[in-house]
Amino acid sequence: MSYESPIRDLLVTGGKTYSDITREVTRPIENKPSKAWWIGFGLSSIVLAIWIFATTYTMLVGIGAWGLNKTVGWAFDITNFVFWVGIGHAGTLISAVLLLFRQKWRMSINRSAEAMTIFAVLCAASFIISHMGRPWVAYWPIPLPNAFGSLWVNFNSPLVWDVFAISTYFSVSLVFWYVGLIPDIATVRDRATSKARKFWYGFFAMGWNGSTKVWHRYEVISLILAAISTPLVLSVHSIVSMDFATSLVPGWHTTIFPPYFVAGAIFSGFGMVLTLLVVAREVLDYKDYITTEHLDAMSRIVMLTGTLVGLAYITEFFVAAYSGVEYEQYAFINRATGPYWWSYWIMMSCNLLAPQVFWSRWARTTPWFLFVMSIIVNIGMWFERFVIIVTSLHRDFLPSSWTMYAPTIVEFSILLGSFGLFFFFFFLFMKFLPSINMAELKSVVKTKHAIELEKHYTELLNNNHKMPIQTQEMKGDSVHGH
Amino acid sequence: MDTNKVILGIYNDPDHIYDATKKLIHDGYRVRDVYSPFAIHGMDRVLGIKRSNLTVAAFIFAMLGICLALTLQTYTSYFDWPINIGGKPFLHIPTYIPITFELSILCTAFGMVGCFFAVNRMAWGKNADIIDIRVTDDLFVVAIDIIPNKTDIAELSSLLKNNGAIEIREREFED
Repeated sequence: MSYESPIRDLLVTGGKTYSDITREVTRPIENKPSKAWWIGFGLSSIVLAIWIFATTYTMLVGIGAWGLNKTVGWAFDITNFVFWVGIGHAGTLISAVLLLFRQKWRMSINRSAEAMTIFAVLCAASFIISHMGRPWVAYWPIPLPNAFGSLWVNFNSPLVWDVFAISTYFSVSLVFWYVGLIPDIATVRDRATSKARKFWYGFFAMGWNGSTKVWHRYEVISLILAAISTPLVLSVHSIVSMDFATSLVPGWHTTIFPPYFVAGAIFSGFGMVLTLLVVAREVLDYKDYITTEHLDAMSRIVMLTGTLVGLAYITEFFVAAYSGVEYEQYAFINRATGPYWWSYWIMMSCNLLAPQVFWSRWARTTPWFLFVMSIIVNIGMWFERFVIIVTSLHRDFLPSSWTMYAPTIVEFSILLGSFGLFFFFFFLFMKFLPSINMAELKSVVKTKHAIELEKHYTELLNNNHKMPIQTQEMKGDSVHGH
Repeated sequence: MDTNKVILGIYNDPDHIYDATKKLIHDGYRVRDVYSPFAIHGMDRVLGIKRSNLTVAAFIFAMLGICLALTLQTYTSYFDWPINIGGKPFLHIPTYIPITFELSILCTAFGMVGCFFAVNRMAWGKNADIIDIRVTDDLFVVAIDIIPNKTDIAELSSLLKNNGAIEIREREFED
């Protein structure tokens, strides 16, 4: 007996029809929120209040509320900024890069990953504003004529590039997300029973009517948006890395930074996507849409990028040794064995070693284990930025200015509070917008007609074989991800 | 258009409506449009929709973004108020690359999506002319123009039925 296995497992399980998808994805929007949602939303609102309080305090008192000193001028603020920007990289990567590579498993997760991107970039931007010390002149990095208070900005500075990169990334991601949402908003509009819902979803659906002409243009712009977003994703974190790489600080002045930061960003972004989706599929009961195969695919990317990041850590060490530059060598030895050795080894174990468990299929498909792993990845990537920023700064060229850095309660509160900011928006998103791209998902659900055809051809094939081929039983309207 | 009456053939399977539309066009009926909850692969070719010029718009906006960025950077740092920062050159094209790249992407995205909304006549708050409310859920609708004294409605209906239509209706357009 021979056995013909499907090339890929089903993208959507449970034999969903088109109307099943519509009904189940719009369920959280059309019904009163569940208890779990209220608990999550309530908790994140409380944490958001901490953020508001700590940020306001910083703005009133000034940067003196933080543990910074003359030697360590960047610490928690920029660590958190790079951490959040990094998390913001998975969304566009999933939608754009995986679209170009025709990875259909992206369809169940791209919507929530894009939402995550937008909220994460908002959090990142909040750190940029608050670390300025004088947030009321936050418009100075924008090129404005000299009469507005500052001189023209210095276009040679990576910090100015960063302003352009982050704001472009935020607005293009927002456009990409919104364009993808329009057909689904129209679906909610057409099912709406209440007046308010009819009005608001009707307002944002922009008169969408599902005409083939519109769909044709829609597919054209989706492809181009994906094509321009792909280099955009890579450019944004490269530019963030240049904030460090173009300086002369040992430990920062490294040409490996752009690819190393991009790999790290994808790694941490997928870590956060896993954290969110493992929980969301349980709470919203989306296990048929976000299957263990999706988790498997994401874990593979986590493992790959984690190993890439680990390779970058080792390469940095090698290059420092090989360069023969004393300062560079000291910076790296100090990282691994100096006063902040523990943060270095947290980074190494969380980012390089821990993801190696994903060689095992059990680890890739067990939700509770994945949740634990995703938290480890998040912690590891936060420490990576802490290690890069603080250990490189705290012992500079002049031993008399060597010092230590310790965060204050205000900095801790802002870090904690930024999670509140992030989850506050994410919970609102889950309540008010379809968190799975219905229109795209419907296009990969196999129709009855196609299933009949497939059965027919299988029979034909079996009749021509002496040994019959046993195919896997088709489950209703399910899908193969060929 | 000399007619504003249409026959709607409603289907629940994208493959059926694809075959039906192909047949309708082959038989010389004037298919106004096909409405669906998602893009049906190849339907645009069946309806003879020309490849959209939005790609050209995207290219033009990208070029516009590049020009805008280069003009801004050279004007401010070379012509208007050159600032000596560590003796670095005032006109230093390589350091202009990142911002030029970002602005070209920004212009492409916003320009192209703006054009997309304009050609589709889409705007915030616009009332949708929905052909059938279930078209954003699970049904597929083909709209065929009725040409007075020419279209044989009975024949058309049977053609639609034979291809798997679950419902057939008549409808008038306001325009």
